[in-house]
Amino acid sequence: MTMSPGLRKVALAAHLTVSVGWIGAVAAYMALDVAAATSQDAQTLRAAYLAMEVMARSVIVPLAFASLLTGLVMSVGTKWGLFRHYWVLISLLLTVVATVVLLVETQTIGYFADIAADPTTSGDDLRSLGTTLVHSVGGTVVLLVILVLNLYKPRGMTRYGWRKQHEQRRKQHEQRTALVP
Amino acid sequence: MADPPRSPDIEPHTTPRWVKVFGIIAAVVILLFVIVLVTRGPGGHGPSRHTGGLGGHPLPANVTAHGV
Repeated sequence: MTMSPGLRKVALAAHLTVSVGWIGAVAAYMALDVAAATSQDAQTLRAAYLAMEVMARSVIVPLAFASLLTGLVMSVGTKWGLFRHYWVLISLLLTVVATVVLLVETQTIGYFADIAADPTTSGDDLRSLGTTLVHSVGGTVVLLVILVLNLYKPRGMTRYGWRKQHEQRRKQHEQRTALVP
Repeated sequence: MADPPRSPDIEPHTTPRWVKVFGIIAAVVILLFVIVLVTRGPGGHGPSRHTGGLGGHPLPANVTAHGV
């Protein structure tokens, strides 16, 4: 099932928009994460944790799912396929892992935000909460790796893709042989 | 009469070097993650470390009182 050129461009535009948007949203989130990790000011910490929760839940998680979905559409609807090329397969695996870790991490961020939203929480309690900086930095690295794989599309077929390619070649060869008088 | 087309060449399947390097890096990262889990205990990673799990930060007193 291959998409028409027009539909493929629409799908590609959507995939690029949400995927690059995901990286941008994580970069903005990381700025707040750094503030939460380094600031000693209770108001800054409170504001950072609340904004981190809104950003993660309302922007990053939807973008992650949109990226996964549009990526699946792009691979299934084009010649690349989902399991034929290593770069597609590895991108898919990394996106799934990043999304799962994000969902788990969103619970932690929600917990921080609940504490920060409580006006009786002291500055010391806010400072003892910690950050999600390791995850946001790690997540950014994973997203950049996926970006590089998608841009460069390094050569290499999986065993499944290799088998499919040979089946296709054999069929073409048989058709050509049948046509020769 | 024209010669029939040649049968397509069958090269053996090989895994590219970049995939092997990628696999090694992934294995090292997973190993490091397991080491962190083992050395810090089950509460050393994940949301439970923030919610009073084993090895995690204790909850602020007022938050505990609010039943979070």
